[in-house]
Amino acid sequence: MKVRFTKKEKIFLAILLVACTVSAFLNIRELKKTPREEVFGNLGKRWVVEIGGFRLNPMTIFVGVGIVALLVFVAYKFRRFELIPSRGQAFLESILETFYEIVDDAIPDKRFVKPTFVIATTLFLFIAVSNIVGGVVPGINVLTDENGAIRKVQLFSNLWPAPTADWNTNLTYALFVLIVSHVFAIKSKGFKEWLKGWFQPSPIMLPLNVIGELAKPISHSLRLFGNIAGGAILVYILTYMTGYFFAPLIFWGFFGIFVGLIQAFVFSILAVAYISSQLS
Amino acid sequence: MENLSDLAQGLALLGKYLGAGLCMGIGAIGPGIGEGNIGAHAMDAIARQPEMVGTITTRMLLADAIAETTGIYSLLISFMILLVV
Repeated sequence: MKVRFTKKEKIFLAILLVACTVSAFLNIRELKKTPREEVFGNLGKRWVVEIGGFRLNPMTIFVGVGIVALLVFVAYKFRRFELIPSRGQAFLESILETFYEIVDDAIPDKRFVKPTFVIATTLFLFIAVSNIVGGVVPGINVLTDENGAIRKVQLFSNLWPAPTADWNTNLTYALFVLIVSHVFAIKSKGFKEWLKGWFQPSPIMLPLNVIGELAKPISHSLRLFGNIAGGAILVYILTYMTGYFFAPLIFWGFFGIFVGLIQAFVFSILAVAYISSQLS
Repeated sequence: MENLSDLAQGLALLGKYLGAGLCMGIGAIGPGIGEGNIGAHAMDAIARQPEMVGTITTRMLLADAIAETTGIYSLLISFMILLVV
């Protein structure tokens, strides 16, 4: 397969590469100036704001709203599908078509193919964009003290503000998938059949079935969280150790784009698999 | 940890570093074996049907991402031991 770029796309890619290189250079300069204790003492802390008893994470909310706005803008731009597709439309269509084939194969009840497809592709698009934003756009680091109050705002630091590097986001999506799978099962099989499913091989297995269901969202969300947050911390430490000009570029490319896209795909495929295992 | 004596603080640090190292080291055994298995079987399949390279490679990467989950858990836990606790 040979990929050809138009002139506009070539210019865009060149600008992206130059911007990444410049921000990598600025990152290294910023990192060299901060003392060692501040660099490693700040890794486990987050900026937290408390409003009426709720503890909120403002960076997650800002970046999450930004990503949703970006996706809505793209959807608005491609709202009318042309018969002869442009390049962007062909790209989007190929992504959606791949997902539709996978969902169509996996879901046994044909009434639930379309809802599952919508859920899976929405999750995939949000998580993929979030991971790429985490990898390509170097973060605004907010230094905090023990209680989560702001101490200092630092531009061009290597910590990632991706919403998926925050466990709250991932757990929300995993719980959503769990609830949706049970609602679909009740709608598809009827309440009695669904209740019988809990006592499936024999009634003694009920506690094991309950634990198995509860373990699903935890492993589902921790997989994504561990990959993105662990990758972010690993890149931070490796960049600090090497202090080399091109190192952050390569690490961002690997941990942000490659691992991020694979994990987004795995997350939505597992969502489809959980829903289909409840339906069958 | 501020109220302890010097010896107790030293022992706590010893336990922290030993625990983090052992957590990552032992936790990496399982995913290593699993990913090796996946890679070996993918190679077998490619040798048998060379025209299926594309499909097999994407499926192999998917399975790898799932198999390395426990390794990622132990990485996270060792980071928590080192940096948060």
